[in-house]
Amino acid sequence: MSRKPRARSQKPEGRVRYQFILASGFLLLASSLAFAQHSGKSWIPPRTPDGQPDLQGVWTNLTITPLERPAEFAGKPFLTKAEAEEYEKRTLASNNADRRDGGVDADLGRAYNDAWYDRGTHIVPTLRSSLVIDPADGKIPPLTPERQKQMAVWRDTLQSHATDGPEYRPLPERCLVWPTAGPPMLPSFYNNNYRIVQAPGYVMILVEMIHDACIIPLDGRPHVATGVGEWLGDSRGHWDGNTLIVETTNFSGKTRFRGADENLKLVERFTRSSPDTISYEFTVSDPTAFTKPWRAQIPMKRTEEPIFEYACHEGNYALTGVLAGARADEKRNEKGER
Amino acid sequence: MSTKLAGIVAGCALLLAAVPAWAHHAFAAEFDAKKPVKLQGKVTRVEWINPHAWIHIDAKNADGTSTEWMVEAGTPNTLFRRGLTKDSLPVGTEIVVDGYQAKDGSLRCNGRDLTFPDGRKLFLGNQGGAEGAPDAGK
Repeated sequence: MSRKPRARSQKPEGRVRYQFILASGFLLLASSLAFAQHSGKSWIPPRTPDGQPDLQGVWTNLTITPLERPAEFAGKPFLTKAEAEEYEKRTLASNNADRRDGGVDADLGRAYNDAWYDRGTHIVPTLRSSLVIDPADGKIPPLTPERQKQMAVWRDTLQSHATDGPEYRPLPERCLVWPTAGPPMLPSFYNNNYRIVQAPGYVMILVEMIHDACIIPLDGRPHVATGVGEWLGDSRGHWDGNTLIVETTNFSGKTRFRGADENLKLVERFTRSSPDTISYEFTVSDPTAFTKPWRAQIPMKRTEEPIFEYACHEGNYALTGVLAGARADEKRNEKGER
Repeated sequence: MSTKLAGIVAGCALLLAAVPAWAHHAFAAEFDAKKPVKLQGKVTRVEWINPHAWIHIDAKNADGTSTEWMVEAGTPNTLFRRGLTKDSLPVGTEIVVDGYQAKDGSLRCNGRDLTFPDGRKLFLGNQGGAEGAPDAGK
């Protein structure tokens, strides 16, 4: 499925006068194509057989740029190269799970050796200090007061029933959804890989993390009825020039993406800006959850790596382990052991 | 700051703080920070499965007997990407496991630090951009 990027055949217009010097003409054409591919703006993406701009292949959004701008970079949407290198060095040291400092809780929280993580080592090429680009402060806008209350109630409920049964365990632990797997798609600790497949009238995005596939019809059909909630929402796509625009609604209210509710409307934009890059942006709107919409931008880089299966339930012994641990804790508490 | 607001802020801070240390699940809910274990023994079986790989070892006891332990690790996908499969850790390999025992007292622990007896890490980390670990950053 993974294909090498193909430059769209381009007519050597304006170069016919050089045709008597075939070798030179060829060189000029080759350098012109190379320039077009690297300058981004003038590069024209190849087309699928049915005429869609071709986004197919495996892509990764691996980066250590944080979603929100850290306080230390307040008022600084772009880092200098030196700042970026310093931030990368510091973040790698901080993320390194092989370190054993910070006490037992931190040690246990790091879970296992660094080899098992795959967070990336660099920030985005634009040197932005956050993935959120709007609002200008690089922060996700606050939740509405009403939504803050609802979230507080939900957190209280989760906390007081945390280990009553599987229903109260976090969604990723139950292998239902992963908070960064999308939509919208954000980088995480590992499995930051996505396969895009296009067929006439459809785009499909297979997400390595937790193994879901988003199937996006392009035929203009309406969304499913209001009140139907889905874990991944209900996506519809269309092309605006070379940009795929995907609008997703009908999210389950249980997903609670960054505090969103069932009124979440997500608009994602995919533009293949070079053979090896998709410019990916998404806008989150939810008037009953966020005080204003917000937007993030994450480059996706082409990779020749395959997607690996993530059969999340197969080895999910952790779920029973957590609940068995809670029962053991209760017995110890009854005996007054601790 | 009202108590309720303080609670919300604390809750948010807790959620955010939990994020960097959060793998597929909260390890602190499954394993006991008060029960560190150090085991050495031969690999008897490798479950190279998601969301977590599990390595079984026959851990040596002080009295010369041995006990089978299950050791939880991360997703095999990350290691697949570097060309490592379950065959990279053959049955019979002697390893050292430094981790924390399951809260329920069963013979399970997390493989917090997996090494060979000479101290080398079992698998090399990804810091510095390991081969086969694509990076959108640069």
